Amino acid sequence: MASNSETRGSSADYETMMSASDVELLKRAWRNEKAAPEILQYEGALVERAKEQIELVEESVEDYVENGKDPLLVSLYQMDLDRTQFLLRSYLRVRLLKIEKFMFHNLKSEEAERRLSEQERVFATKCADDLAKHFEETVLLKLPENYQSVLKQSQISEVDDMVPQPHLDTFVVCRSNNFVSLNLYEEGESPETVEMERGDLYFIRYKIVKGAIESGQIDLI
Amino acid sequence: MYGRKGYQLLKDFASGEKGQLKPFNSKLFDETIEECDQNHHLLQSLIRKMQQEDLDVPNNRNADHYGALIHHLSLMRNKRCLMAYVYNRAEIVRDLAWRVGLELLDLPSEIQEKLTSLEKEYFKNHSVALKSYMGKVGIELNVDMVPPKDPYIKVRILDDIDEGIVLSDKTTNFARHSMHFLKRTDAEPYIARGQMEELTD
Repeated sequence: MASNSETRGSSADYETMMSASDVELLKRAWRNEKAAPEILQYEGALVERAKEQIELVEESVEDYVENGKDPLLVSLYQMDLDRTQFLLRSYLRVRLLKIEKFMFHNLKSEEAERRLSEQERVFATKCADDLAKHFEETVLLKLPENYQSVLKQSQISEVDDMVPQPHLDTFVVCRSNNFVSLNLYEEGESPETVEMERGDLYFIRYKIVKGAIESGQIDLI
Repeated sequence: MYGRKGYQLLKDFASGEKGQLKPFNSKLFDETIEECDQNHHLLQSLIRKMQQEDLDVPNNRNADHYGALIHHLSLMRNKRCLMAYVYNRAEIVRDLAWRVGLELLDLPSEIQEKLTSLEKEYFKNHSVALKSYMGKVGIELNVDMVPPKDPYIKVRILDDIDEGIVLSDKTTNFARHSMHFLKRTDAEPYIARGQMEELTD
């Protein structure tokens, strides 16, 4: 009887343990980030909440282990905790890898810079400095003057032409949450639109759905 | 033929397995840089020649101008080849930092031989940047690289690891060829370094 009431009490606890909607939000942010070719807006508040909740659950799991609670339950909590931790870590990792890949672009483009968190910005500047220093020492200082810039091909170039940029034209799979009507081509050209019903799957160029993803109307898969 | 050495350098890089480094080809690298210098001298002498003939350099399109243009383009192409070589190697170095570990000494010696001292410097600097980010965010980002299926996994030890390693819930004695049932997060760094293997059956 005592064990029955314990299990009933603990299942109520389990519901409140990880706020289900936060995990859903984290999963959605993680999926979008993984599929998008460029870096998306940093979900600072979500990450903070997730961190706090993970800490709380970790503490309670430790308590349970010490109090000798049913090991099956404990390992279930542990598995759920592991999964959420993996989501959080992978989300931050994917962002870091994108920063590493497009270092110079992220610092140059204001739009991209706005999407980084404070610590990511520090990381990106340090990374870019490291790489620029590496380039200078290995190659650039040995080349003649006028060709020693990291970002330009030579002094004669008018723009920074040695900066790799993310490919916004890649195709992505997306599903829409609402009814959305999008312009397929650039402004001024023949305005063909594609209309998406709720729940439709589309295989489309990233550029076109970019705005809709930011406003949350479309999800990447 | 201008540009051939740059091309050979990149072919050398591409002929290695994807994701694996070959030893830094300093010979070809230095030869390409020499070619750049050569191009630059010839470029400057042609421009000086045009200036001595009192011709307006940017606008006068004679044979010297086109000669200078070829040198300039060849120089830019060589610069791009060299930068691509260094950039791609640096990308692999960063990838190593994520997969194997952030300490230079943790890298197996075969890999350490293939890096130049400058690349090792870059590896150290990059590790510092990563560590400081992880410290500020408060979360370790090297573990959990694979989505977790089971919290505990069976492993077999391949190398002799020091005795008495303290894991999160017990101390164990890792003798060679012994099998253990460990938490995934504890075993991952050892598996990444090749000191343990996961048993899946």
